[in-house]
Amino acid sequence: MGGSGRESNVAQLSLRGIKKRFRETAVLHGIDLEIGDREFVVFVGPSGCGKSTLLRLIAGLDPITEGEFVLNGTRMNDVAPSRRGIAMVFQSYALYPHMDVYENMAFGARLMGLTKAEVEARIAEAARMLRLEALLKRKPRELSGGQRQRVAIGRALVRKPDVFLLDEPLSNLDAALRSEVRLEIARLHREIGGTMIYVTHDQVEAMTLADKIVVMNNGRIEQVGSPRDLYETPANTFVATFIGSPRMALVDVTRDGDRLAVANGGAVVTGALPDATSLKLGLRPDAVQLHRGAGSEGLSAKVEYTEYLGDNAYVYARLADGTLLSARTTPNDLFAPDEAVTVTVTPGAAHYFSAEDGRRLNP
Amino acid sequence: MPQFRMTGRGLWITVLIVPPLAFVALFIVYPIISAFAYAFFDWQGLKRLDFVGLENFHTVLFVEPYRSWTINAFKNNIIVFFALMVLQNGLGFILAYALWRELPGARFHRIAVFLPVVLSTIIVAYLFKLFYHPLFGVVNVTLKNIGLDWLAQPWLGQSSTALGSIIVAQAWHMVGFPTLVFLAGMQRIPSEILDAVRMETESEWVKITKVVWPLVAPSATIVFTLLFVGAFNWFELPYIMGGLDGSPFGSTDVLGLYFYRTAFGNVSSGQQDFGLGSALAVLIFIFIAVIAAVITTRLRAREIQL
Repeated sequence: MGGSGRESNVAQLSLRGIKKRFRETAVLHGIDLEIGDREFVVFVGPSGCGKSTLLRLIAGLDPITEGEFVLNGTRMNDVAPSRRGIAMVFQSYALYPHMDVYENMAFGARLMGLTKAEVEARIAEAARMLRLEALLKRKPRELSGGQRQRVAIGRALVRKPDVFLLDEPLSNLDAALRSEVRLEIARLHREIGGTMIYVTHDQVEAMTLADKIVVMNNGRIEQVGSPRDLYETPANTFVATFIGSPRMALVDVTRDGDRLAVANGGAVVTGALPDATSLKLGLRPDAVQLHRGAGSEGLSAKVEYTEYLGDNAYVYARLADGTLLSARTTPNDLFAPDEAVTVTVTPGAAHYFSAEDGRRLNP
Repeated sequence: MPQFRMTGRGLWITVLIVPPLAFVALFIVYPIISAFAYAFFDWQGLKRLDFVGLENFHTVLFVEPYRSWTINAFKNNIIVFFALMVLQNGLGFILAYALWRELPGARFHRIAVFLPVVLSTIIVAYLFKLFYHPLFGVVNVTLKNIGLDWLAQPWLGQSSTALGSIIVAQAWHMVGFPTLVFLAGMQRIPSEILDAVRMETESEWVKITKVVWPLVAPSATIVFTLLFVGAFNWFELPYIMGGLDGSPFGSTDVLGLYFYRTAFGNVSSGQQDFGLGSALAVLIFIFIAVIAAVITTRLRAREIQL
């Protein structure tokens, strides 16, 4: 722990064809994933996509139905959770209510067979890093949510695991505390350098924390990549609409020369086009401009409402075919509801997806 | 002081509270107080004679043969309490843990374990009397059939085994109750806490002693206190299986039987003494009330809010 304190623990995780069924219900349909040492990996996806299940399989809390989980060259499928060198931070923190903060952290460390002095040293170190020194004699019920969260992280830290698993660790915190703890976790990862796997349904958490994001949906991996990869080159419409806020609008268009036409709603030039006649056009709020009134060049739309955010504003407008689209504008540039506008697209800023299967088609 | 006004709400509350209070006063408070009063008088049958102060208490505690009888019955109650603590509460905890861990067949066993509790004590008593029958009882027949003839014995007919045999019947009858209370306590433990323990150890022993047991403390308070009260008020099973005299030779005598015999007389001698009986009842009541209060407060202190 702590810069030099951490021994040369290396964590290389391989998930190969992982499947999970609960009785008749298939939850994971074959997950293949490599996670490198010291990576901060975030599993993100809508609820029920299997991300927490995958985390529990890695932890060993649920058995793997099919496939192989290998950690540092050792097959882990049948290894007990406590012997995998993995520590987990739970959504509800899961602190032992009858033990004080010190005991909560000492419990697991003692079970590892460490000497008394070593246990004390590790707890002192974790308490310092997490600012828990003043709370060591408190019971969990005497702590605030943020403090409990730090104890839960401390409990994982003292075991010096190869891999940290964090299951929606911020979801029980209020919004202000959430961004604070998020920074804390990022700082911890830098300091201890362990491999962290983090589960969340919040794409902002994923974007801000991850080295690598794994987007999951319906028990499958949709795309693996850096936050920038996912934002700039989403592999399909699911990733495209899941990452980024406000979400990307998808418009059904047909190709008409170098222009893309919306059913009874005008046409727009967007730059180089893929080789397909009918496709889905993906537009992020920063890729479009709104012009007042009905124009000849662009997509006609009607303003629905405006979100004023201080430094900028988002205008939501409905295209002629009913698609709702959002555009980022300056706060001075406010539009009235029901105002008619024309939408143009920054050349090269649009995304293109197959109309049939939603795959990315950018040229 | 706020003035009490007979509003609609106040009337409702009064109507709901008065009948049960009257019931409790008539059938619980009044008998207890009168037993206290009876204990200070000399009696001849149902006829009250002179006020004798603490004479009756002195007699049951210090005058032979009452003294030996009191000590013997009290000693047996203590044996019953500790034996049931292990056989009923200890086993109940283990059964609850097994049921909670959803071992195969847990759904069936959850009902099976509790079923005997529903049976009438009379039925259980006669059932076990048949089981323990020296010649035809299923216990001895089974022992003979598996070649353990030397173990077969008149279970209820000898001093060395009679009390133990009745205790086993009691444990079988009631083990479902602590099981149910412990199971309910265990089901209140959040599943993530158990997952957290599993991340740190695979030893069931550590899980049980360091996490599950401390967290079911409220259940333990309930079953310990109720077992204590139950063990020192024990009557039905020894009455039916050992008889009013605690046969053989007082080996199954407990305070409940002894009190009944003293106050109302037994089959062979119609001798009855309300004064001595009441004195015994008062002593038993005070003993149970004081110890139960101590147990409850002690155990409450170690309970944890989940």
